[in-house]
Amino acid sequence: MEAIRLNGISLWRRTQEEFSYDFKKSLLSFLEGKYRKPTKKLVLDRINLNIEVGETVGIIGSNGSGKSTLLKVISGILQPTIGSVHVYGNIAPLIELGAGLDPAMSVTHNIILYGVMLGFLRKEMIERIQSILEFAELEEYAFAPVKALSSGMKARLGFAIATDVRPDILILDEVLSVGDVRFKKKSRTRIEKFWDTNTTILVVSHDLKFIQQWCQKGIWLDKGQIKFSGNVDEAVEHYLNAVE
Amino acid sequence: MSLSLKNTPNRSQLQRYWELLYVLVENNLKGRYRGSFLGVFWSLLNPLMMTVIYAAVLGTAFASYYDNSIVNYILAAFTGLVTMHFFAASTSQAMRSVVSNGSLLNKISLPISVFPASMITANLFQFVMATLPLLAIMAVIISGNVINSLALLFPLLALTLVSTGTGFILSALYVFFRDIPYFYEVAVYGLRIGTPVFYPADVVPEKIRPFVLLNPLAQIIESIRQITLSGDLPDLSLIWGALLGSVIVCILGWLCFKNLRHQFMDLL
Repeated sequence: MEAIRLNGISLWRRTQEEFSYDFKKSLLSFLEGKYRKPTKKLVLDRINLNIEVGETVGIIGSNGSGKSTLLKVISGILQPTIGSVHVYGNIAPLIELGAGLDPAMSVTHNIILYGVMLGFLRKEMIERIQSILEFAELEEYAFAPVKALSSGMKARLGFAIATDVRPDILILDEVLSVGDVRFKKKSRTRIEKFWDTNTTILVVSHDLKFIQQWCQKGIWLDKGQIKFSGNVDEAVEHYLNAVE
Repeated sequence: MSLSLKNTPNRSQLQRYWELLYVLVENNLKGRYRGSFLGVFWSLLNPLMMTVIYAAVLGTAFASYYDNSIVNYILAAFTGLVTMHFFAASTSQAMRSVVSNGSLLNKISLPISVFPASMITANLFQFVMATLPLLAIMAVIISGNVINSLALLFPLLALTLVSTGTGFILSALYVFFRDIPYFYEVAVYGLRIGTPVFYPADVVPEKIRPFVLLNPLAQIIESIRQITLSGDLPDLSLIWGALLGSVIVCILGWLCFKNLRHQFMDLL
């Protein structure tokens, strides 16, 4: 059974650097006839990908090769210019934890807010507050505002919310080291549990050892194209050969 | 291009939208008032103060248009100012909502329109809790008829639709042009002067008056005043006029937002 299918995905994105966010300037340059159509850059180039349920896939490649963009397309954050995305099951993104937290609000309130953003119902989140606080070891801070937490605690909270329910598809973007040594171990155990069950996992990381250890399948992305897809050791080998 | 995202089963997109709207509005209101429920009444402070100022400065000059009664002028100015204040506050908050949540939109897949919509809804909640009861009481006392208080819901609906449409347009434009707030400030100022908020429509020269009354906000204010202050039964033609204009603004706003939406993510 397949979990994710990408059919001929290409994505052009506007480069922000040359874009003027100024209405006055844009209007003037338009009146002077200097207006140019915004140039677009090809970020993902004809990507075809099938991922089966329960597969663990590591995505590797140099900076700017489109790894995170690919994850964004799969999560539905970005829509491809051409091609189609099919995702079966719910996705839990773990992209830079703590992004959805509101610093002025209490921890409890943030659990509900973040949970709803991830696609859960308020009712479900209210029932889960206790177990999330317990896992994040923040019971004493339940009613404290999030800005009173240390950055490690915030990351712990984000991790605890996003992983409290087993998602069908888990997306990890370089976020496996959360909190202090003890919590790192704890979060590692939780993620390993996902590995044991039928969760489909996608990892983007520059830690090749980690990828080789934990993933079955490897995808090597270069300049928005899939250069290799298959056995993880081979993918890493190809990638390293190309770099050297 | 097709995108089939079968999210958690049994959960429709509509329900997700509703849940999101609920938590965002709750978050917004809680953030504003730090838990004190009386906080919503702070939203009355601005229109009340402006009413006092206008009454002190212009009350005597305009009293002749209101049966020589300063009280009538105060009531007319107040109804106009609360309407204008709702529009200005909710649209300028909606304007910034998409951009200020840009980093979030880059991390979690969310329906973008929920952010401006939540700003309008939060302001609507405030209005319904603090201002609407005042207007309803005024309507009952002056007309002696409960129908007038109930009829207030129609101009309020029109006001919400106008603000939503404008909020959608502004939030979309702000993604592209970050100096829009500056222009919008000028526009709102012009609207404040150009709409009969603190002066009677009769002082506007007759040649210009039709243009002033074309403005949906002017129609809404006229309708609210007719319902609360005239003592007569609600004038249906004023209500229809207000609703028609507001529906048009709302549809235009949504079309504009919908057509620009796919370009947002590259600029956030």
